[in-house]
Amino acid sequence: MLRIGIDVGGTFTDVTALDTADGRFHIHKLPSTTDDQSVAVAEGVRAILQRTGAAPGDVGYLGHGTTVATNTVLESDGARTALVTTAGLRDVLEIGRQQRPDLYDLDADKAPALVDRSLVHTVTERMTAQGTVRTPLSGRDADAVVERIRAADPEAVAVCFLHSYRNDRHEREIADRLRAALPDVYVCASADIAPVFREFERFSTAAVNAYVGPRINRYMSRLADRIEATGVPVPPKVIGSSGGMMSLESVARYPVTTLLSGPSAGVVAASHVAGQAGFGNLITFDMGGTSTDVCLVRDGQAVASTQRRINGRPVRTPSLDIHTVGAGGGSIAHVDSGGALEVGPASAGSQPGPAAYGRGGDRPTVTDANVLRGRLNPRHILGGALAVDYEAAARAVDGVAKAMATGREVAARGIGRIAAVNMAGAVRKVSVEAGEDPRAYVLVAFGGAGPLHAVEVAREVGMRTVVVPPNPGTLCALGLLVTDIRAEFPRAVLEEADEHDPGKLDEALREAHESARGWLAAEAPPGAETRITGEARMRYARQNFELSVPLPRQAIDTARFGPGAVAEMVAAFHEQHTKSYGFAHADARVQIVEIQLTAAALVDKPELPSIAAGSDPREALVDRRQVDFDETGPLDTPVYERAGLRAGTRLPGPAIVEQLDTTTVITPDATALVDAYGNLVIEVEQR
Amino acid sequence: MRNQTHTPDPITVQVIGASLVTIAEEMGAVLRRASYSTNIKERSDCSTALFDAQGKLVAQAENMPIHMGSMTGLIDALLASELTVRPGDVFLTNDPYRGGGTHLPDLTMVKPVFVDGELVGYSANIAHHSDIGGRVPGSNAGDSDSLFQEGLRIPLVRFATADGIEQAPLAFVELNSRLPHERRGDMLAQLASVEVGERQLCEVHRRHGTPTVRAATAHLLDHSAKRLAAALREVPDGTYHFSDLMDPPETGAEDEGGAAGAEGTRIAVAVTVSGDRVALDFAGTGPQAAVGINVVRPALEATVYYALKAVLDPGIPPNGGFFDAVGITAPMGSIVNPREPAPVTARTDTCQRVADVVLGALAAALPDRVPAAGHSTVTYVTFSGEHEDGFFVYPEVVAGGGGARTTKDGLDAVQVHITNSSNLPIEALEQEYPLLVDTYELIPDSGGAGTHRGGLGVRRDVRVLGDGAEFSAHADRQTTRPWGLSGGHDGSPGRFVVNPGRDGERQLPGGRISGVRLRQDDVLRVESPGSGGFGAPADRDPELVREDLRNGRITERAAHDLYGLGRASEPGRQ
Repeated sequence: MLRIGIDVGGTFTDVTALDTADGRFHIHKLPSTTDDQSVAVAEGVRAILQRTGAAPGDVGYLGHGTTVATNTVLESDGARTALVTTAGLRDVLEIGRQQRPDLYDLDADKAPALVDRSLVHTVTERMTAQGTVRTPLSGRDADAVVERIRAADPEAVAVCFLHSYRNDRHEREIADRLRAALPDVYVCASADIAPVFREFERFSTAAVNAYVGPRINRYMSRLADRIEATGVPVPPKVIGSSGGMMSLESVARYPVTTLLSGPSAGVVAASHVAGQAGFGNLITFDMGGTSTDVCLVRDGQAVASTQRRINGRPVRTPSLDIHTVGAGGGSIAHVDSGGALEVGPASAGSQPGPAAYGRGGDRPTVTDANVLRGRLNPRHILGGALAVDYEAAARAVDGVAKAMATGREVAARGIGRIAAVNMAGAVRKVSVEAGEDPRAYVLVAFGGAGPLHAVEVAREVGMRTVVVPPNPGTLCALGLLVTDIRAEFPRAVLEEADEHDPGKLDEALREAHESARGWLAAEAPPGAETRITGEARMRYARQNFELSVPLPRQAIDTARFGPGAVAEMVAAFHEQHTKSYGFAHADARVQIVEIQLTAAALVDKPELPSIAAGSDPREALVDRRQVDFDETGPLDTPVYERAGLRAGTRLPGPAIVEQLDTTTVITPDATALVDAYGNLVIEVEQR
Repeated sequence: MRNQTHTPDPITVQVIGASLVTIAEEMGAVLRRASYSTNIKERSDCSTALFDAQGKLVAQAENMPIHMGSMTGLIDALLASELTVRPGDVFLTNDPYRGGGTHLPDLTMVKPVFVDGELVGYSANIAHHSDIGGRVPGSNAGDSDSLFQEGLRIPLVRFATADGIEQAPLAFVELNSRLPHERRGDMLAQLASVEVGERQLCEVHRRHGTPTVRAATAHLLDHSAKRLAAALREVPDGTYHFSDLMDPPETGAEDEGGAAGAEGTRIAVAVTVSGDRVALDFAGTGPQAAVGINVVRPALEATVYYALKAVLDPGIPPNGGFFDAVGITAPMGSIVNPREPAPVTARTDTCQRVADVVLGALAAALPDRVPAAGHSTVTYVTFSGEHEDGFFVYPEVVAGGGGARTTKDGLDAVQVHITNSSNLPIEALEQEYPLLVDTYELIPDSGGAGTHRGGLGVRRDVRVLGDGAEFSAHADRQTTRPWGLSGGHDGSPGRFVVNPGRDGERQLPGGRISGVRLRQDDVLRVESPGSGGFGAPADRDPELVREDLRNGRITERAAHDLYGLGRASEPGRQ
């Protein structure tokens, strides 16, 4: 059987296939088709079939990572979306949390609401915070709002009523009527998309979902058609923001959950690769041309978040807690009016790109500094596919050097150091905000630029180990092959732990359990091992910030909270609070805000191929050149070819390792060891 | 690089600077996440900072500009005090006349940082506590007539030592607050935050060496001063005057010097720019008020720093180097330099007006850069009463219009100038309090008309569900209006109305008020001001007028009367 993963990025579509018969992996890369990503996806399937000689019928699994939802929001290219909401509250999306976007920049603008104010329609109805009906929804009002929506002629509608996380009867009724009356319009209800409290965040999530819904649905149906046309008998599955695979039906209903599709595949893959190398606690460091994604993985499990934003708009569906900073190889350096060197936030992006790429860029970027410092090959990169314009890089950096009244070398080193310290800040942030000490973690570097800076970032943060996987540029596609099929089922509870209504708590758990079971029945492949896990989000009474603790196994298994279960959760909550903040309020009232079950159908995790053993790095030595390091200045440095390295080889710093999709810098105070799977495991000396 | 020279290279300076900012941000993350009360946790009414050994602010993560530099006074007070400072000590104060922030609910905590027995700096934070005792629940009513009515005054005291928390100050605060449990949780969160800052700062010193960090800090301060100087060189030399009024005193309150006139207190400033220097003189500003709208020195400074940074260079790192380069004088006994124990808790409304006049003065120098007046009040409302688990206090700040910019409309429904607190979600407040929000929406036509329209104010109707509640507030711009610029119209004022559209509807007499009794099912309507417009309305792009009309941001009538839409002479019509 052939298992295929296809990840679509901005420039390339990456295909990774695993032949389960012999355990071999096959990799293929082709240009993305930006107008319709599914064209390249289908081409990629055909190409990999050709390469492996497999028949379409041999394909038993097809995983896909897509950026369609993200691009729709970033390009403001979504559906004409209407909102139906509770009378009196038409401006929840406009007002948001009433904060201005920048404290001091008077020209900064808020992200405009995705729903034009003229397309907001209110209806008389009201639920209380307890979920009881305060103002009933009349049939006449319901009919009237459906007619108003019909007249407004939107492509999508989000139905968002106050307290629907507690009682969604009104919301469902309007959504059902809209679907019946307007079958061509994409309709979603906030409590279905994100059944959690806090109206702005829930409404915003539903609005984003509606806004991307029609385009995602068109894309998915084209994708399914094109895959079918290749003869592959299985429909594709898509990786969601929380690092679980979803069916096309789930994607159609919850498109907002694919906003982090690609990045989450990278995190899953990094966890898998690092796990096999023996590391369970890691921080992923995915640095590309324009941005860097970092995520904390604890005991092999990526930390989840429900607080994400896209383009300034909150999205409260479960997702991996991937923190993105606008710093990458294309980040531009400049000298400010006080004479200080800054790197970013402006970026040369992929067009025109760094000056060294010779595509017309003339601003000094991080990549240009790396070229001048000898870290990047000064003649060509991407295995020779891209010629490097060293002189252009030098001219660009000279501009900065002049403004600093210093030399080119000092300026280039400064750009590298400041870029590293900026990214170190992001790594610290994901660990500190998760209540973790980064020094107990390893840094897993991938993306085109991650391995170039990882050692210095690790040293800045105090981390001792960096892992660079064998194929850092196609890690996301690998992730699609090792990701479980998974979905989350949250339920709002808002009960006091001490005096909770056991009926209410059990009801929420039973509902979540039924949903999870139903989903597994529909989506788990026959014979797959399935698993349901659960957590509760809890807080001290009157706090408005929750911590997650696991639900007791007994409660998950029986779909009932047995005696002592809540007490166990409360104890776990105090413990988690102590871990995160250093103290607990032992005598304070504790609330259970939400419970969430996660249903998963496990996929077989392939053993990654091991490489041949050997200890002599000279076989892989391809060059020597002067490379500049922060502490020592330029040193004569050996350059190795990654493909030539053998398991067990030690590479003492300074050293450079080049490969098609990235370059790894090993500083003089670090030592790399090639492990059995070809990972570079770099030990960083900490002072 | 521990053994390197003590004059670090410029990149090392920045690496150290970035580390210090990261630490301040981490302290803020810990404070918010560990705090107990909604005010800090959800509304982020707190800030964190690091100081050098001389008490100069080096790095700050402020969520609200009113906190910019406002912890500096505490370090000065500590340096001047008789208290001995030992490793492990943590100090606390809230007294606005003795270095403790800008009003009593802001508790400031600081931990001196030692490396190998040497004092190298301070880790500090400030957080707004939801009740610190005093006459009125929430400790934030605008109509107290003395600081003593506003709550517990905490002198500079030792809060913890290397051996742990000192129980006495904690017990004092708890006993004096209506919400002792919250106070305890919030103060422990503040402690956790300064400890994180201390640990991380020690780490920076350990890595780079104290002489290097010290030298780098001096460079960082100098860099901010240089950025300010560079920005000032773009401002034409001259002295620029501007003044504006506070709302008149109401509820019978009188100014200190005699009976109140019909006019509110004047805020006047002369901003003198000369080369790369700037000085502000508040001469001509009215006397200190009998109610709590007085501005102590740290609040005045923070406001001035905010206004200069926003107009001149938003990227100036806020540190002592910037602050030291700004000259500020204010007449003693004026509303911007009151005599102890003048009440101060509602100082933010005056601060907003101070920001307005500094911006207004700079508009004359930089007419292409300065926006019209924002809603420029802090519409701070408090509902309190009894419910099943005891006493409740629900504080809320309602946003309004942001001033129209010189090239585009103002922002609707935002916090402006010295604050940027978020609202409490309706679903959260209805969980916690016996209140119901009937309405939360933009007010059409509230933004001043202009080529670029002023931002819209907000209407929030709160219904009382329980046995009754008490309403207190401080707000301004209910009489005076946010001004337009260059022909733009003024924004509409705010107001408080009980039971709008029902029998017994009444508008409250003004924005500074307490003790308004509300019965079950009464509705209290809060309307915040819109902002001023920029440029003549007749010059507005008719397409934007139509869009505003379609979106209900303006009414038909405004479109017709103010913008000429539908008239024969409608702009753009042949």
